[in-house]
Amino acid sequence: MKRRNLIRMGASAAGLSLAGVPLHLLAAGKKGGVINAVVQPEPPGLMMGITQNGPTQLIAGNIYEGLLRYDEKVNPLPSLATSWTASKDGTVFTFKLKPGVLWHDGKPFTSADVVFSADVFLRKTHARLRANLAAVESIKAIDPLTVEFKLKYAFGPFIGIFEVGSMPMIPKHLYEGSDFLTNPANATPIGTGPFKFKEWVKGSYIQLVANDKYHVKDAPLVDSIYFHVIPDAASRAAAFESGKVDLVPGGAVEYFDVQRLSKLPGVAVTTKGWEFFAPHSWLWINNRKAPMDNIKFRQALMFAIDREAICKIAWQGFAKPATGPFNSNIKFYSTDVAKYPRNVDTAKKLLAEAGYKGETLRLLPLPYGETWTRTAEILRQNLAQAGVKVEMVATDVAGWNQKLNEWDYDLAFTYVYQYGDPALGVARNYTTANIAKGSPFNNVEGYSNPKIDELFDAGAKEGDPEKRKAIYLQAQKILLDEVPVAWLYEINFPTLYRTKLNNIVSSAIGLNDSLGGASIA
Amino acid sequence: MLGRVLQGLVAIVLIATVNFMLVRAAPGDPVSVLAGEAGASDAQFVAQLRAQFGLDQPITTQLATYLGKVVALDLGFSYRQQQPVLKLIVDRLPATLLLTGSAFVLSLLFGVTLGALSARKAGTWVDSAITIVALVFYATPLYWLALMAVLVFTVQLAWLPGFGFSTVGAGLSGLALAWDIAQHLLLPALTLALFYMAVYARMTRAAMLDVAQMDFVKTARAKGVKPGRILRAHVLRNALLPVVTLAGIQAGGMIGGAVLTETVFAWPGIGRLMFDALLQRDYGLLLGAFLVTAAMAVLFNLITDLVYTLVDPRIELG
Amino acid sequence: MTKSPFWHRFTRNKGAVAGTAVLLLVVAVALLGPWIATNDPWAMVQQPFLRPGAEAGFALGTDTLGRDILSGMIYGARISLLIGAVSTVVALLIGITLGAVAGYFGGLVDSALMRFTEIFQAVPSFALAIVLVAIFQPSVASIVTAIAIVSWPPVARLVRSEFLTLRQRDFVQAALLSGQSTPRIILTQILPNAMSPIIVMASLMVATAILLESSLSFLGLGDPNQMSWGYMVGSARTVLRQAWWMALFPGLAIVLTVLALNLVGEGLSDGLNTRLHGRTK
Repeated sequence: MKRRNLIRMGASAAGLSLAGVPLHLLAAGKKGGVINAVVQPEPPGLMMGITQNGPTQLIAGNIYEGLLRYDEKVNPLPSLATSWTASKDGTVFTFKLKPGVLWHDGKPFTSADVVFSADVFLRKTHARLRANLAAVESIKAIDPLTVEFKLKYAFGPFIGIFEVGSMPMIPKHLYEGSDFLTNPANATPIGTGPFKFKEWVKGSYIQLVANDKYHVKDAPLVDSIYFHVIPDAASRAAAFESGKVDLVPGGAVEYFDVQRLSKLPGVAVTTKGWEFFAPHSWLWINNRKAPMDNIKFRQALMFAIDREAICKIAWQGFAKPATGPFNSNIKFYSTDVAKYPRNVDTAKKLLAEAGYKGETLRLLPLPYGETWTRTAEILRQNLAQAGVKVEMVATDVAGWNQKLNEWDYDLAFTYVYQYGDPALGVARNYTTANIAKGSPFNNVEGYSNPKIDELFDAGAKEGDPEKRKAIYLQAQKILLDEVPVAWLYEINFPTLYRTKLNNIVSSAIGLNDSLGGASIA
Repeated sequence: MLGRVLQGLVAIVLIATVNFMLVRAAPGDPVSVLAGEAGASDAQFVAQLRAQFGLDQPITTQLATYLGKVVALDLGFSYRQQQPVLKLIVDRLPATLLLTGSAFVLSLLFGVTLGALSARKAGTWVDSAITIVALVFYATPLYWLALMAVLVFTVQLAWLPGFGFSTVGAGLSGLALAWDIAQHLLLPALTLALFYMAVYARMTRAAMLDVAQMDFVKTARAKGVKPGRILRAHVLRNALLPVVTLAGIQAGGMIGGAVLTETVFAWPGIGRLMFDALLQRDYGLLLGAFLVTAAMAVLFNLITDLVYTLVDPRIELG
Repeated sequence: MTKSPFWHRFTRNKGAVAGTAVLLLVVAVALLGPWIATNDPWAMVQQPFLRPGAEAGFALGTDTLGRDILSGMIYGARISLLIGAVSTVVALLIGITLGAVAGYFGGLVDSALMRFTEIFQAVPSFALAIVLVAIFQPSVASIVTAIAIVSWPPVARLVRSEFLTLRQRDFVQAALLSGQSTPRIILTQILPNAMSPIIVMASLMVATAILLESSLSFLGLGDPNQMSWGYMVGSARTVLRQAWWMALFPGLAIVLTVLALNLVGEGLSDGLNTRLHGRTK
């Protein structure tokens, strides 16, 4: 890695922001130039308050900003908020906002926007933030540059909900009093970020241009970014190879191609930039039906699965076997739990004890591409070796959603983001209160254990990190004994790029954060 | 003639209704897709979107509303894409028309020429060679041909661009832009054309051989009419009848078949738009695209029948 | 015992003979499949991306998951032929019936049937196939049904246009005058004369069905529990650079089978043509 990039990483870790250290001292390249990137699939919209899926965040992360950013240890860094203080009991948080920040249409950004965004707009449109704000009692603008959050209780992960995807700042003057979902401003998103929306040619590309009034001096360094829409993975790989694009976000090309392309001169790969999301994959097991309601059966599945093979063959090393419900990147992860190394004999024994009669189970793969299909095929073979018969159900995205919403499955693949903290990204999958039809991301397996409910509840309401650690350690131990789902692997999405691009990943959400600090050598 | 046009309109309304029902029968709806992609959702989120999309109404109401709008030429609004459906289709239609139009012309040109040549030299090695080449192209999966073309001509040789409609950000206009588009068009059009060329070549050959056996041709030959004239005035004219029929049928199908070509070459056309709309259960957009292509196909059929009656006066227009 | 004229004409066409040989080979492989394949096509038995011939017993190499490609192709023959044949038969039954009736009776019957055909033809066939497979959920049965449903209209139109032309011919007028019944005329007089383009079309249709199935797999709509050639090419799509043989061999199998079908169709057309020539004198 270039020495200058090392300095940047060091500066971030020390808590210095882009605003704190003049950029031109750290700039690794000259000003100007165009970055050509790929976005896959084409986002349904760019208004980040309404649409929260991956491609939208990738692009709109350049247009919008949040109050905070996070480094690779998921510790908070200033963004639109320059500093913050918490009361002793952890129920009052005061944020000081950066002065002189302008929206892309020239109006000033103030605390009124923060209150509007969090309390009014996002509460209405953003399901995940709505859940996170359940702990918040009130949000007040103390003065134009200060905001105060009062909590009902000491919500442990509170400082972790301010990332731009979780809480983007929305311009009050454009949205107040309107119907958020049909507001015409949604077609031309206005934010405070380093890039402005320029043009969207459907099916072709989205263009952003530099915000020359950006609140960070000497940034952005790049004139314009094009996000190309190329629907076929092989075409995307060929586009990168032929030089038409220089930046390919994780999951957009086949991992075989990533390996091959990374060996070309002037090309590099990084798996950084996913620490906040901590993508975690597992197999939903429908706890409501036999034989899956039997703990021994589920444990047998855990022993039968060959995670190493899946990570090596299907993911080409860009995934790491998971050890349990927590991703190794999130807080309070522990390995002091029951282990399940691959052992076909143990699996067979447990299956016999569970009384499995050889009935065929339906396996629902994730319809997101070849890698997931291969994963499902490998798993099917793994289970077959242990004697579990599995039949694959073919489906597309809509069908997959439907089946999980209605609990119409036996075994199903999934992966979710864990957002750095068990209270934000893990609790919803194992607590009784989250058993509800209509979502593929809550407690879909139907697992209910009052002790687990109690632990996750206590963990969210506890402010002291040491105490939280103990609580979550207990939770992990129980979950790994009862195995409500079969955990598979952690994904390390590779970002493929040309080395002439500098500093494309500058925080724990990687490309979603913005290319504001990027430059072309 | 008026009767035919009215029949066409009725057909379109029927198509709309059937499509409406068919698409609804598929599991899942646009809200579940959006919710899934958001990575998180709750009952409020889903209910909100459902209401916005009009999915909370009874199905007969939805159908009635939709048909009413169709008659008024309003194809609705795509909440997924946040744009009117008609605009989305109109934006993408020219690209597909350009692609399929060029491929259609190329395939007919190559196909009929090769087919005629092959019939003329029936039984010789020329005939065999052409037949085999045509057959191989017809037998090759279209997407594989497309991928090979990209690999060879774009990645290895760098002769032609492999994706997109034109070079992004180049800011070209006029002749320079036309040339740029032509370069982008060549590979996809040729790939699509090669596939259909084989069909026309074989059809022309078979039809010409059939016609060449017929009495009036033998008569002309016996009368001493020059072979070239026999070919053009007698054989070709009659042999083209089944070819015309087939071409009319293929023209409508080419648009849908362009999905594969558009996918590999990232050509921003309507075929890919329809497939994405299906995956996202974007009913408004999917039905709008279906309708537009259906209307065009009905139009093609009408034209084909007209051409048919012109060429063979014995056939009456039903 | 002299050879029948048909057989004489057929065997004169060397391409047709070659095609028949290849087709018989493919059918044999399909029928004997499970007994001659050395591996379960889904079993991961070797290291991935093995080049053809690099390891004994894996003449065509392995794929991304280390599965034996040769075994996969043997099983693939069964499914591809099955889907191709069954969907074509169904499509022909529908198309010939409707086309013959429309072409023979003309008038209102013709109009009504042609409008009905138009409704199916109006939707681009591939797009309709995608929607149908998505609704019925991808499986062998749904794919066969979908392909049959989108394939019959061209048959109907062709048969109709043939019948319209042949209806005016002298021998039909003669049959009518001699008092033959309608079904008799359709089945014994007109249909045999219309057969040659239908046969050519049928062989193309089986080929198209095989290609259509592979295209559905390419877009991710194939039956995930069946190893078909289309599926194999589909799974090779994104690793063409690393493992060109994964796409080459199943692709070749498709090409050869389709080629064989067409050559056989040609031979049949030649053979029947001559007979036709005798009838119309």
